[in-house]
Amino acid sequence: MSAILEVRGVGMRFGGLHALSDVTFSIEKGSVVGLIGPNGSGKTTMMNIISGVYKPSSGEVLFGGKRIADVPMHDVCKLGIARTFQIVKPFANLTVRENVAVGSMYGRTGSKRNSAQSFARAQELCEIVGLARVADKNASDLTIPDRKRLEVAKALALDPDVLLLDEVMAGLNATEVDEALQLLRDVNARGVTLIIVEHLMKAIMSISQSIVVLAEGKKIAEGKPHDVVASSAVVEAYLGSRFARRQEELAQTKREAEEAARVEPQ
Amino acid sequence: MAATAPPSRVTRAGGITGNRTVFAIACGLMVLFLLVPLAHNGYLENLVRGVLMFATLAYGWNMIGGYTGYVSFGNVVFFGLGSFTSAALWQHFQQQNVLVAIVASCLVAVVFALVFGIPILRLKGHYFGIATLGLSIAIQEVIANIDWLGGGSGFTVRQIEPFQIYYYAMWGVCAASMAATFFVARSKFGYALVAIRENEEAAAILGIDATRMKVLAWAISGMMAASAGAVFAGANGFVDPPTAFAIDNNVFPIVMTILGGVGTAAGPLVGALVLTAINETLWTHFPQIHTLFFGAVIVLVVVFLPRGVLWLLSLRGGIAGYLASVKAYRV
Repeated sequence: MSAILEVRGVGMRFGGLHALSDVTFSIEKGSVVGLIGPNGSGKTTMMNIISGVYKPSSGEVLFGGKRIADVPMHDVCKLGIARTFQIVKPFANLTVRENVAVGSMYGRTGSKRNSAQSFARAQELCEIVGLARVADKNASDLTIPDRKRLEVAKALALDPDVLLLDEVMAGLNATEVDEALQLLRDVNARGVTLIIVEHLMKAIMSISQSIVVLAEGKKIAEGKPHDVVASSAVVEAYLGSRFARRQEELAQTKREAEEAARVEPQ
Repeated sequence: MAATAPPSRVTRAGGITGNRTVFAIACGLMVLFLLVPLAHNGYLENLVRGVLMFATLAYGWNMIGGYTGYVSFGNVVFFGLGSFTSAALWQHFQQQNVLVAIVASCLVAVVFALVFGIPILRLKGHYFGIATLGLSIAIQEVIANIDWLGGGSGFTVRQIEPFQIYYYAMWGVCAASMAATFFVARSKFGYALVAIRENEEAAAILGIDATRMKVLAWAISGMMAASAGAVFAGANGFVDPPTAFAIDNNVFPIVMTILGGVGTAAGPLVGALVLTAINETLWTHFPQIHTLFFGAVIVLVVVFLPRGVLWLLSLRGGIAGYLASVKAYRV
């Protein structure tokens, strides 16, 4: 397995605010990676840097070994990177199908399609993500879960190698989350690498092969889902240092008690 | 298979070309307009030529302001450039052919749109509007100070016989602008423009080079306005900076497009017709203060018909539905 995306020492400053500092990680081709962290930890900023919306203040992002900082925003999708927006950005006065069709008209492979072919492709994608029933509605009339689906359909219309998903499961109910997870697994099974920003721990634990944790703009943990959530740095970031210390103390007491119990019978 | 079902993209007002029936009626109107010179009524011919001229300007504005969502307050600059190109062709090269004047004006418009569009269309939203307003005023002053272009006193353009040629030429540029709008709007390029209007960042993420598309849209917009200007110069027989860069030619097309329906293929023609009719009626009944009433009409249109008269046809839910839709445009 080779790294499809490498983030090397990326930092981002907005005036005096360090949204990200010296973040490094790499993502294997075909994998599913969760990017988690408390509010304001820099997850969306990282998404914006990888998708070319922001240029990093320091460091670099390599995609397939090539620097992407110099690639204009409208060419990033031609490299094979697509994204959804946490704050959804539908084309409100176009229908759902037209929204998706714009993606298949342009994007990475759009130059090969004419208008009619783009609409046919859009229809297929609407069916895949479960929007076929509302394909003729204006995007402004959609419910929140459907708007999230639309974001995914538009991103898929670009035929990406890497798909960045920014909180596509927020606001969905349990059944919808399961459907969304199934959809993402299907997409991944077709060889698309997924980078998922999500607050729903259950969802991200179940789908990710590895997780990167950000807190206050720094990477504090990286690894397999279960190892990462057990790490005290992650617990501290989410629940505060006092809680983390108490957890440590509890664990310590437990260990001592166990040790004592082991010693006692002798 | 559902994938091959034809997309219903023209059935809604606010869709890519607007209501199809209305567009068919507008096409019918254009055919009727062909018959106007046969009536040998000078007043009527002048009036309808005015409608066609303003409709062409409105189509020009609709391309950049309606479809791309970049409100230009200076599209008169193209009209002015077209007028002066046409006038200079006669004055310096004894060239009277209307078609030559139109083609030359379009070339000037494209060059102008590329030279100025590339820097100012990088600006987003309102800044573009302000830049175009400044540009039109500046260019008017520049032309007023070039003696080769008649300076402040302007040019006389010798008119060709029969005079109806100018009517048919204006009809031609209007029909061409209408057809261009219809076909551009339905093309991939048209969808890119609408995507930019709806959300420029989301459009860019989908691979649309927004600056390039905006400059192209402005160039097409400019070609429409410039060809109207080229014909106007001949029909008017005289061109000077205040006539060619008249504020009316700047403001009316915007109001007409809004009145008819922004971002539709029939809206500019319908708007030009309705507004000219209102203007003419007010002018004949209240010659002294007709501009006052006219101003009131503009305010009422913007407040109560934010998406134009054609939009009323697509409304559902009667009065309540109308009120709800109007309220959606309030801050």
